[in-house]
Amino acid sequence: MVAPARAPLRTDRLRAVNEPRQVAVELNADGEPIAIRRSRDNGGGQETTSAVVEVVLENWRIDDEWWRQLISRRYFAVILEGGARVVLFEDLVTNEWFMQTP
Amino acid sequence: MSRRPTSSLAACVWIPLFPLRCEEARHEGLAGYPTALLATDTTRKLWQVSPLARHAGVKPGMTVSQAIGLCPTLRLIEPDPVHYDERFANLLSALTEVSPVVEAAELGLAYVGVDGLEGIYGSRGKIIEALKKTLECWNVGRIGFGPGKFIAWVAASRAKPGEAIVVALGEEQRFLAAQPVSVLPLDPDTHRRLRQLGIRSLGALAALPEAAVTAQFGALGKRLWRLAAGRIAEPVEGCVAPEPIVAALTFFTPVGERELLVHSLDQLIARALKHPRRIGWRVHAVRLRADLECAEVNENAGRGAACCAPTNRSWLVNVLLKDPTAAADRIAAPLRTRLEQSPPTGAVERLVLEFTAFAPGTAELQLFARDAQAAARAGQQHALQSAAREIRMRVKRSCLYHIIEVQPWSRLPERRYALIDYEP
Repeated sequence: MVAPARAPLRTDRLRAVNEPRQVAVELNADGEPIAIRRSRDNGGGQETTSAVVEVVLENWRIDDEWWRQLISRRYFAVILEGGARVVLFEDLVTNEWFMQTP
Repeated sequence: MSRRPTSSLAACVWIPLFPLRCEEARHEGLAGYPTALLATDTTRKLWQVSPLARHAGVKPGMTVSQAIGLCPTLRLIEPDPVHYDERFANLLSALTEVSPVVEAAELGLAYVGVDGLEGIYGSRGKIIEALKKTLECWNVGRIGFGPGKFIAWVAASRAKPGEAIVVALGEEQRFLAAQPVSVLPLDPDTHRRLRQLGIRSLGALAALPEAAVTAQFGALGKRLWRLAAGRIAEPVEGCVAPEPIVAALTFFTPVGERELLVHSLDQLIARALKHPRRIGWRVHAVRLRADLECAEVNENAGRGAACCAPTNRSWLVNVLLKDPTAAADRIAAPLRTRLEQSPPTGAVERLVLEFTAFAPGTAELQLFARDAQAAARAGQQHALQSAAREIRMRVKRSCLYHIIEVQPWSRLPERRYALIDYEP
């Protein structure tokens, strides 16, 4: 990480890092992810890629901010085929799945 | 590298025809003959002409054949700019014994800051005596003394050889009013226009309304008017001269091929850039000098005029880089141009490169180069800022970001860090 610039920080110039990307997830009988499918806009149309989950490393749950807009997520740290390590989570409010880096 | 010392009260030390005087000092008896120095970029034209030669009608800029036609006994001398440079450096060194504030203007002309020197020497007369002492071996040296460089220069140009003229405070306008307009820093065209307008003295020029002179001659006219009226008193600015970094190459046999010289130049630049004192500094001024093969007799000898034999010849180029740099190519470019445009007039025996002035930090991405650590010490932040500016100019948007901590403790990964534009 570099030292902060001399220019004052302005929140309107902030860009998010590691934003969750929506994915479709196949689950096994225990409710753990076994494969993911992701759609991406490649300019000329939607491109879908899929990957198999090789290992589920751990899982945990977060319930937070109930006093304003509830955040309720079930996380899975997984290793995909090929060795990529990612974090998948299910938004328990909307039942949508997302992927992000650990 | 540090703030320049200045002095509002100035003494001007002037040795007219300095290169020619250097030759006369080197060759005994030469002063008794009409002599002329050849131009440094071409041996066909004259550069400086002695008073005796001038008396015979020879003028600077004339071709050699014209000059010999006017004065068959003219002695022609090939220039040795390295020697003149060394002699002038010695003079400056002697002047710094008198005052710490010395500003070199051109060969043979220097300004000495004299603010506060009366406390050391006791009186103005004794300061002048000390200055005269530095000019002992130059019996043609002149000294002018006054507030600001221009008045000191005008006073020196009016002084007789070996003498000094002092312009006291409050007397500037009276002194300047009687001087001819030729003492102003004029181009020939402006000089001609002033003469056509009947303006022959600074007093006549200063008597005109400033606005009228500005309307006629523009910004230059405004400056000339202010100089003539004694409204400008530029202080002497001393310079803090760093020890130069020198790289030299002596050729086994004298080299005349330009390509080989350029190749040698590249080698010298690479060698000088590697010098430990250069690391972390950008090069601002470069001097390239060459000792040339000795010539016994000039090609014009058969026509009645001869050089002093044997002649020491040299070639010298001083380059001030507009943008200080540590990139070899950018240092070499102006030197290569000079080698193309005004090459040495003979085969080179020894080539010497000097880095004579430096600027701190680095504008290039040197922090990724071999000397990264030293460059980083000197100006990593500055280099990053320059690089970011350049990238933004090229791609029209900022592509560099800081990663900043927002909520590093958050259990939600996307809330821990954010990106923000990197803006120097």
